[in-house]
Amino acid sequence: MNRGVAVELDSFRLADYGAQIPCLICERGNTLDAEVCRNCFAPMVLAHQAQSRQAAPLMIATLGPSGVGKTVYLGMLLDMLSRQPKELQMSARGGFSVTLQQITLAALAHCEFPNKTPSEPDRWNWVHCQLRSPRHRQPVELVMPDIAGEALFEEVDHPRSCQVIHSFLARCHGVMILIDGTKLQSGSLDEDYFAMKLMSHLSELGHDPKVPWNNRPMALIFSKADQCETCFEDPAGYAQRHAPGLFRVCQQRFRKHKFFAAGVAGACVKRRRPGEGEQSVPLRIEPRGIIEPFEWLIENIVG
Amino acid sequence: MQAPEQLTNFNTGQPATPESRLRIASQWVGELLSSTCAAAFIRRKSPTTTPTMPSSTATEVSIAEFAEVEAAEEIEVSGDARSLVDEMLSRGRYALLLRPQLIGNLSADQLAKARAALSEGMCLVPAGGVLVLHTTGIPETDEGAARPEISLWVDGYYLDRYQVTNAQMHQFVRHGGYEQMAIWDAEVLPAVLDFVDQTGHPGPRFWRNGRYPRGEDHYPVVGVCWYETAAYARWVGKRLPTDAEWVKAASWPVAIAGHPLLQRRYPWGEAVDRTRANLWGSGPGRTVPVDEFPGGVSVGGVQQLIGNVWEWTADPLTLDCDDDSGQIAGAHEMKSLRGGAFDTYLDCQATCHYQSGDDALARKHNIGFRCAISLCDFEKFGGAGESAAPVSDEPPHAETKP
Repeated sequence: MNRGVAVELDSFRLADYGAQIPCLICERGNTLDAEVCRNCFAPMVLAHQAQSRQAAPLMIATLGPSGVGKTVYLGMLLDMLSRQPKELQMSARGGFSVTLQQITLAALAHCEFPNKTPSEPDRWNWVHCQLRSPRHRQPVELVMPDIAGEALFEEVDHPRSCQVIHSFLARCHGVMILIDGTKLQSGSLDEDYFAMKLMSHLSELGHDPKVPWNNRPMALIFSKADQCETCFEDPAGYAQRHAPGLFRVCQQRFRKHKFFAAGVAGACVKRRRPGEGEQSVPLRIEPRGIIEPFEWLIENIVG
Repeated sequence: MQAPEQLTNFNTGQPATPESRLRIASQWVGELLSSTCAAAFIRRKSPTTTPTMPSSTATEVSIAEFAEVEAAEEIEVSGDARSLVDEMLSRGRYALLLRPQLIGNLSADQLAKARAALSEGMCLVPAGGVLVLHTTGIPETDEGAARPEISLWVDGYYLDRYQVTNAQMHQFVRHGGYEQMAIWDAEVLPAVLDFVDQTGHPGPRFWRNGRYPRGEDHYPVVGVCWYETAAYARWVGKRLPTDAEWVKAASWPVAIAGHPLLQRRYPWGEAVDRTRANLWGSGPGRTVPVDEFPGGVSVGGVQQLIGNVWEWTADPLTLDCDDDSGQIAGAHEMKSLRGGAFDTYLDCQATCHYQSGDDALARKHNIGFRCAISLCDFEKFGGAGESAAPVSDEPPHAETKP
């Protein structure tokens, strides 16, 4: 005689699997166990973590051409904010959010700069963190990716070719644009053109009519300023002298913008190795002007 | 002024001896250079004239000895040697007075004052071996990494107890240090005219009107390039310490027979302690007076070897990393820096062993210096060095280990 046995159907699993979870960046539905969004390749862990909070996280983009120092700047910024005992403090949400600062600081301690960020979006480092400040009663949730320079300019040249960048820029609340101060000083116009291209692209992104792009705060940061110290004295004057095109676009099209200068290495030399060519060696780590642009941006976004 | 071939002794009126002739000739060339450069400096004020390059004979002057010769001549010809000695003492040039060329001219009282100034301002570092690690590019926390190290012998020497302060540098600026071309390295003479402060006066980069910021007398002088520090050191009768000397004073090696040298990672011990040094996150985020952070004192009594400002040393930057193939590309001369500064972020870069570097002409906000003087400069004449610690009999050697 058969006896009745209660067998668990696990139907809740099917229900979970059936419910679509929207990606935090592109808002397309994904299954529960998806690691990255099937549409834009942003990590789905951001969506899962955001679900546990009522307020949507702030999004800030760090943009600039390849080799300008985005990874170093972001890694250093996050490390400084997580070690700073007062004022603006950051705590990572999830182990993955520490990876960027870890690889950056490990490389710098070896007197090397971190490897170039791969172009593939699923290999980028994303940061999801909480910011606390004496000025704000509630902690602020923040999402920042380390976007590859090549992918960014592919998107600028061919809009919508990189879905994650397109979606992220449309949603982000403010940007930090890095411009290589040393290249400007040497008379190269490339940096000026890159920045102008980028800003023209941003000004045409009109997803949110309530907050058009020309009202969003924009910090323009001259990177590697330790090698062109006049940057620190008057960044806006430096822009006017060395990047007149960029300066004019900012004045005409973006209401909330400010120029900054930042440097991570106190001094660099080029090391020549047989078979490897020249390699830049940071001789010591002395961050300058790293936190100020970010503070200004947060102040302008959160109020 | 008399030409060298017509010289007579100022005191006796007799024809000058070959030695004194040489001395006076050196002074003559020095003064000629000074006046040439001063003229160039004055002409610089007019934008339509091009500064005149000083004569190439500058290279023939023994610049290292010029300050001594100059001081000796000043005292010989002066009718009031006492006031001159006091003046030199008040300007911090006591090391010159203790040099063999001058020490005989000092009274017992003056000698005592000069010795007191020496023991107050400088610490003795005894002779011995030191292991200089090449850590640029290889953090000390990497246990498995092969770090090239060089075992060097260092003779006994005195090292400044504190970094050179704004007030000390001001003496140099005020008394024409930037115009005395003979104390400058010949190769940098064209650049000296460009070593000016914010208002165009000769002096460290961040000063104004030839003065440091009010209330910062005892802050370390910054905004000085390697050549300015070398010139100051000559003016006070000292020199910059070598890399090995600096490391020895900081890490204070102990040699135990049959064992490798025992060296400290920090002047106070093996572990980082941010309460003992002005580094990123432990201080006010800027320079502090040179006598703050007393807990960071070295065994020998030298203050702030770690933190506050990086210190120029006499040696060039070496970039020997994990192999010998690492070569520095680029045209500029790089000089070695030691010790870390108020904005040094990484603990592994603020140790006794870490070597950084910068362009010899860089005048930065966080680079200063301290001076040294060899014990042998005193002791062979039985002067200030007689109270020195016994020097080891071990023969000097230099050995490179992979």
